[in-house]
Amino acid sequence: MDHECRIKRNEPLKSGYWRIVFEAPEIAAAARGGQFVHVKITPMKDRILRRPFSISNADPVTGELTVVYKVVGHGTAELSQMRAGESCRILGPLGNAYTVPDAETFPILVAGGYGTAALYLTAKNAPQKGILLLGARTKDDLILVEDFEKLGFEVRIATNDGSVGHKGFVTELLAGALEGRDKSKCLVCGCGPTPMLLALGKLTLEQKIRAELSLDQHMCCGVGACFACVVKIKDPALPDGWRYSRSCKEGPVYNATEVYYG
Amino acid sequence: MADLTTNLGRITLKNPVMTASGTFGYGMEYDSFFPISKLGAVVVKGIAPWQSHGNPTPRVAEVTSGMLNAIGLQGPGIDKFLNDEHYMPFLRKSGATVIVNIWGKKIEDYAEVAARLDAESEGIAALEINVSCPNVKEGGLAFGTDPAMMGKVVAAVRAATKLPLITKLSPNVTKIADFAKSAEANGSDMVSLINTIPAMAIDIETFRPKIANITGGLSGPAVKPVAVRMVYEASRAVKIPVIGMGGIMSGEDAIEFFLAGASAVAVGTAIFADPLAPLHVLDGINAWLDRKGIASLKEIIGAVKI
Repeated sequence: MDHECRIKRNEPLKSGYWRIVFEAPEIAAAARGGQFVHVKITPMKDRILRRPFSISNADPVTGELTVVYKVVGHGTAELSQMRAGESCRILGPLGNAYTVPDAETFPILVAGGYGTAALYLTAKNAPQKGILLLGARTKDDLILVEDFEKLGFEVRIATNDGSVGHKGFVTELLAGALEGRDKSKCLVCGCGPTPMLLALGKLTLEQKIRAELSLDQHMCCGVGACFACVVKIKDPALPDGWRYSRSCKEGPVYNATEVYYG
Repeated sequence: MADLTTNLGRITLKNPVMTASGTFGYGMEYDSFFPISKLGAVVVKGIAPWQSHGNPTPRVAEVTSGMLNAIGLQGPGIDKFLNDEHYMPFLRKSGATVIVNIWGKKIEDYAEVAARLDAESEGIAALEINVSCPNVKEGGLAFGTDPAMMGKVVAAVRAATKLPLITKLSPNVTKIADFAKSAEANGSDMVSLINTIPAMAIDIETFRPKIANITGGLSGPAVKPVAVRMVYEASRAVKIPVIGMGGIMSGEDAIEFFLAGASAVAVGTAIFADPLAPLHVLDGINAWLDRKGIASLKEIIGAVKI
């Protein structure tokens, strides 16, 4: 499950966002939308932990595995300096996946920031081309819009500063996306910051729409051993009504009905 | 191939590499990477009388050459551990040598868990008493930083079980030898050390601690020299075997612990970087012994030249 993978391309997208493509045939063959990989960033010597990244794209034919990342700290800064031909050890694919929509299902993907990266593969594999609702702080944080449009998805945008699209939260776009549709045939898949996902989850429960949310927390082992990346899910058997679930193992994708919102 | 067997009092391990409690889950998480029966022993995450949530998140933060954690002993509790297929029933089937780490808030809690495990001890090689977790308010470290209190916990567990006992010592003390002696005097068959070192990291953008518990336990290569020193001091103070751990990333790291006086070692944080780390450490130990022409691991235990 742990593979030495050569970098084919590593290129900046815009404003601190990068796209890296690995030669990773085993991972690309098995990957499903919503899963992640755990990457040992080779040049890091005094930082020993791996870095988890959502799988953005995986092509079983070419064996290419694509990850979109933002330079936010030591690990991603080092990763952005790596060149084609160099390699990293990659553990994966890890975690569970979004349900692949069937031919009857209209996918409504809801992303916050570069949550788009984790939704791309699901969009690609969906028989029906649906809608991507994309929220970001500003227009600089809108990533992969053209990629979703090329797949045939309609992209509706909300920004906090109103620099593009609706001024406000992405969750405010959901009602519009549902207009005139049979809710029982819609599937909402969400990925983004936790407050956004919790708001989205509550909204979909109110609206009685199926929804799956990709939740996580600071991760460490990536395989369920360390209990670092836990998220709260409902557990009626316990006095508090919830338990901590390992997002790397039982998640990162949770049904909105499972999530504890208290 | 050198003789890698090692004696820990009443038990003999096929090799000296174990996992550190809390870093290997309950074994099943790594079973898809390698047969966990290859290890000298698997030490499972701490078991209390009750199921527990653990601490809020974030629970971990990376630091230079190591990490902080404050998981807070999230766990299934003794009932689930003994009966749920993901825990002890799986471990029994795995063929691994199993050591169960136990904890509680009161002395009676430790005794209760020990008695329950004693009653269903098939497949359990030993118990490890956790009196050194820095991340829970009650129990844990409160017992582990007073030799007399710690002795009471060890004695109570000793009275509750015939299983071999390991007492896991805290590094957060002035004189580690006193704690090793207290464990020995109260019936512990061995001691293991070190647990993590209380530490802190602050996000300078937000001014907030990097983990929700404010402080956490430091582990990884950063703590290794502290651990080697403490293993050295503890092993000189007692006759019972010492299990060394703290930042072991390679066979060479492990050799240092043997020379300092450890009869076995545990790999912890390294597993998070590489699931196969314990096997690599084992290979490294073997290669080192072969390179030195040393026929048996036992020849180097405590062999540091002073």
